[in-house]
Amino acid sequence: MVNRLVPRFLHTMDTYLRTHFVHVGKENIKNQTHQKPFFLTPLLSLIQSATLNSTMSSFAASNNISTAILPSRRSKPSRSSSVKCNLSPSKPNDSNPTAPPPPLFKAIAISSAASILLHCTPLTPFLSNPLAGGGNSGGGGAGGDGGWFGGNGGGGGDNGGFFSRMFAAIADESQSQEWDSHGLPANIVVQLNKMSGFKKYKVSEIMFFDRNRKVRVGSEDSFFEMVSLRPGGVYTKAQLQKELETLATSGMFEKVDLEGKTNPDGSIGVTISFSESTWQSADGFRCINVGLMQQTKPVEMDSDMTDKERLEYYLSQEREYKRRIDRARPCLLPRYVHDEILDMLKRQGMVSARLLQRIRDRVQKWYHDEGYACAQVVNFGNLNTKEVVCEVVEGDITKLDIQFQDKLGNVVEGNTQVPVIQRELPRQLRQGFTFNIEAGKQALRNVNSLALFSNIEVNPRPDEKNEGGIIVEIKLKELEQKSAEVSTEWSIVPGRGGHPTLASLQPGGTVSFEHRNLQGLNRSVNGSITTSNFLNPQDDLAFKLEYVHPYLDGVYYSRNRTLRVSCFNSRKLSPVFTGGPGVDEVPPIWVDRTGVKANITENFTRQSKFTYGLVMEEITTRDESSHICSNGQRVLPSGGISADGPPTTLSGTGIDRMAFLQANITRDNTRFVNGTVVGDRNMFQVDQGLGIGSQFPFFNRHQLTVTRFVQLMSVEEGAGKPPPPVLVLHGHYGGCVGDLPSYDAFTLGGPYSVRGYNMGEIGAARNILELAAELRIPVKSTHVYAFAEHGNDLGSSKGVKGNPTEVYRRLGHGSSYGLGVKLGLVRAEYAVDHNSGTGALFFRFGERF
Amino acid sequence: MLIKENAVFKGEASGTLLLSQSGNWNSRIRGTSSMASQIIREWSGINTFAPATQTKLLELLGKLKQENVNSLTILVMGKGGVGKSSTVNSIIGERVVSISPFQSEGPRPVMVSRSRAGFTLNIIDTPGLIEGGYINDMALDIIKRFLLNKTIDVLLYVDRLDVYRVDNLDKLVAKAITDSFGKGIWNKAIVALTHAQFSPPDGLPYDEFFSQRSEALLRVLRSGAKIKKEVFQAASMPVVLVENSGRCNKNDSDEKVLPNGTAWIPHLVQTITDIALNKSVSIHVDKNLIEGPNPNQRGKLWIPLVFALQYFLVMKPIKGLIERDIANERKPAWERRDAAFRKRDFY
Repeated sequence: MVNRLVPRFLHTMDTYLRTHFVHVGKENIKNQTHQKPFFLTPLLSLIQSATLNSTMSSFAASNNISTAILPSRRSKPSRSSSVKCNLSPSKPNDSNPTAPPPPLFKAIAISSAASILLHCTPLTPFLSNPLAGGGNSGGGGAGGDGGWFGGNGGGGGDNGGFFSRMFAAIADESQSQEWDSHGLPANIVVQLNKMSGFKKYKVSEIMFFDRNRKVRVGSEDSFFEMVSLRPGGVYTKAQLQKELETLATSGMFEKVDLEGKTNPDGSIGVTISFSESTWQSADGFRCINVGLMQQTKPVEMDSDMTDKERLEYYLSQEREYKRRIDRARPCLLPRYVHDEILDMLKRQGMVSARLLQRIRDRVQKWYHDEGYACAQVVNFGNLNTKEVVCEVVEGDITKLDIQFQDKLGNVVEGNTQVPVIQRELPRQLRQGFTFNIEAGKQALRNVNSLALFSNIEVNPRPDEKNEGGIIVEIKLKELEQKSAEVSTEWSIVPGRGGHPTLASLQPGGTVSFEHRNLQGLNRSVNGSITTSNFLNPQDDLAFKLEYVHPYLDGVYYSRNRTLRVSCFNSRKLSPVFTGGPGVDEVPPIWVDRTGVKANITENFTRQSKFTYGLVMEEITTRDESSHICSNGQRVLPSGGISADGPPTTLSGTGIDRMAFLQANITRDNTRFVNGTVVGDRNMFQVDQGLGIGSQFPFFNRHQLTVTRFVQLMSVEEGAGKPPPPVLVLHGHYGGCVGDLPSYDAFTLGGPYSVRGYNMGEIGAARNILELAAELRIPVKSTHVYAFAEHGNDLGSSKGVKGNPTEVYRRLGHGSSYGLGVKLGLVRAEYAVDHNSGTGALFFRFGERF
Repeated sequence: MLIKENAVFKGEASGTLLLSQSGNWNSRIRGTSSMASQIIREWSGINTFAPATQTKLLELLGKLKQENVNSLTILVMGKGGVGKSSTVNSIIGERVVSISPFQSEGPRPVMVSRSRAGFTLNIIDTPGLIEGGYINDMALDIIKRFLLNKTIDVLLYVDRLDVYRVDNLDKLVAKAITDSFGKGIWNKAIVALTHAQFSPPDGLPYDEFFSQRSEALLRVLRSGAKIKKEVFQAASMPVVLVENSGRCNKNDSDEKVLPNGTAWIPHLVQTITDIALNKSVSIHVDKNLIEGPNPNQRGKLWIPLVFALQYFLVMKPIKGLIERDIANERKPAWERRDAAFRKRDFY
């Protein structure tokens, strides 16, 4: 191919340059240089950072809560949130005012209260609706994904973004009296070089004139966006010249000219007449990654070279370019985009500047759609040959920089050890990979899930030392290591005669403390004490003390095991001592547990995990009046109460002590399809008694839960798309061999067992089986569902000592069915209990499965 | 005077708070039973019977002795107010158990022992099993504890003849008895229908009413006891009629007779003897029978094996599934692309 082209190079210098590099006819511009490959794109020099309100409500919400308290503090970092990203050696675009107007500033501050920022360098120059983009950035990215790139449109005045319109409007207001009249008769054409260098001209309108086609070009033309001049703006001659120069050097035009036409009111109309550059048709297309490659150095050409020397010079240039192409790495661009572009080339015939612009747009669109936010087409080479070469800077990461900042934004040495953060970052953010905004988001999510930082920013920044490279900066603000909190509540309890008295005021509340990130390794100690009456805390004191030790295998090791040691107590109403249908109130039994637990959790994936450990606890059963009781009570038909019900504990004293091993393996591969859960969730848990404790309890208590969310229809995934209908199938088996105290018996009935019944209303047994099916049909933004459930004791109720199922006149098995609707977090459902045949309306929080 | 009517729940339980624990009950009951076993009086009440009856009874006792049976224990059970205590008194021939018309007998069983010519007859009278439409678990529990280490030779299930319907309660009682003593006890059972001196309504023949009533009752007992039809029919539980009232008709030899002419006391004792001597073994009440097999002990030895099986057959496969999930995970395009793409890279 090169050989075939060689003869043509012999002709003139002009031919060569036009053949190989996009350039501009030199007629109008004095200071243009031919040797340099020019950049096709009008580069965006000022890039507005997009403030990110994370699209994942799950963690954004939690952060919002903590940060909403301190909006003023959060607003500080936002001032530095705009970032300049020049990926190529372009001139700073001084046609744009740099200071954004105050109202917008405020908007950014508010949005950044979400505290997670991802600064990106949005290089999408052509936003379909720049106004919408700007509005989005002001709105704090509330619109989900739109927020990520919300600020894009505001970036460049070149493309009529939000900012420039704002600025223009403001400039218009403030400078209305500051432009000078042209001082010439109306309706005469003034060449640019005839204009006065001292006057500020007001441009009332801008027109384009295509010399080739001899038509005026409307503002919808793709060329129009290259011009930074705006109707109504005020410009000096130098500015207009600069504008023309920019257009001329863009390589899009063979010839471009700018002239003014005087208007009677003293302003001028500007006409830009141009002829588009064209090259010979091509049938090949190649995309190369020139990031991190040295730009070809222009070699000064002696004006008095001989033809032979010139030829040699061009040949050497040709060879050099060939070598450059060979050296360059292939692009990420997939086959299908490649084919599309080939198609474009074939259909067009002649390669025109407009076509190249379209190709550039297509290539950049693919990159940006895929999240390669720093990718940019920088050059087209090898024009006038059979193959068009598209040079792309993809945004290769040259460095990953983790920084800690103090409250004022100064870089400080952090307490957190760097490997703790590094292990949360996706590989794709490391040196050598192409920067992808999705990887950035992933990093943001992962780091946020450590819950160690109040503010996280992932910020790609151009590498000054390494042209085309990207440095990924991760800026972190650490949370206070120690925190303590006291929350109080006063409950007024009715005193004598039902009137609250002063003495009946009870101070209650919670005291909690946390010491997190010990040794910078995310180890933490936290504790809390809750009581409803601090003056008399022995009644209902609840406490918890926990030590968490992550990275048990070492922070560098990918295996992720966490050790947790905790002291706890809890008080729960036992569902074993509940009456069946038609039975009057059964006196309640409270089960208090106090103990120590040590377990190791190994996370396989974000959702699947394996936990195993040792539990030592003391169980005390109490009656209504908090007295320790060894047997359940029951109401006699005569109205009396007898305390000879089923035994509450194994020891028969009301106090049991036991130690057992507990293991739990959870497999969860569920994922969200348009907001609906789809997938499998299996859980197996076993409590293995060790024969240590009162009555030497030796038992094996196990339960297996299998839940499957079956997607009934394939749907297109994406934001705002409707979720698919889902069939949920659920089975739960629980069983126990060996010693089984009543508090460990499996109970049937309740919102998480068999709906439509009270907790434990169906029975308490040694072995149980629950089966459930639910059909969820999406309706508008929520879903309605129908369900049927069954719970069965498998005849094992008598396997529990004292047979509480029978004593409290429960059936031991029961079914229910019903309908429901999900209203936000609340489920409203009508469930019919099959045992009594009556239905009732229930409101429940959270999900059944 | 027969004034005992359907007095179902009343008495000492009403309104009183029984907060004693089962342990206390135990000791109290043991006390009574030991006292009862100490005093085995001469069966003098037999003398109050008509001479014909006396002869018949002594004959039957002789028959039992021949079979080497020196003592006989009869357990009397039934709903409240059907005439259990009266029946006991009638058999013994004296007022050994206080009849408490309009009141439940109190939750304590009573054993009456009488001996005659080296033969001991024990009759255990129990409180009614039904209270407030349900089985009185407490009463049942006390009965069971009372019967601990005793052998039941005959179960006398008492109900009234003059009731037209059977209902779920009969079934519950039968079920409670089966659950407590096992199905075998029905092989030693006699159904006694009290208030036998009763004229059936609408001129229904007495025998027909009796057969209908007993059939209906047996059917419900069978279903309550969960005994298979064939087995039950083969065993053919006898039904006897009882009339405890002092106004009971008497025949020429001064024996109490039923409207169909049979003298009921000798007939009853005859049936008791037959049952006592039938091939089925008597029910010995031991701790196991009362409390059932301790479910906490069942399969305890297998626990290590169960745990091992759980590890290998449940946890390992789930872990395998997780690993499969990880392998099949749908990674986003950017993650996949780089992984495949960067291989050619130099740096």
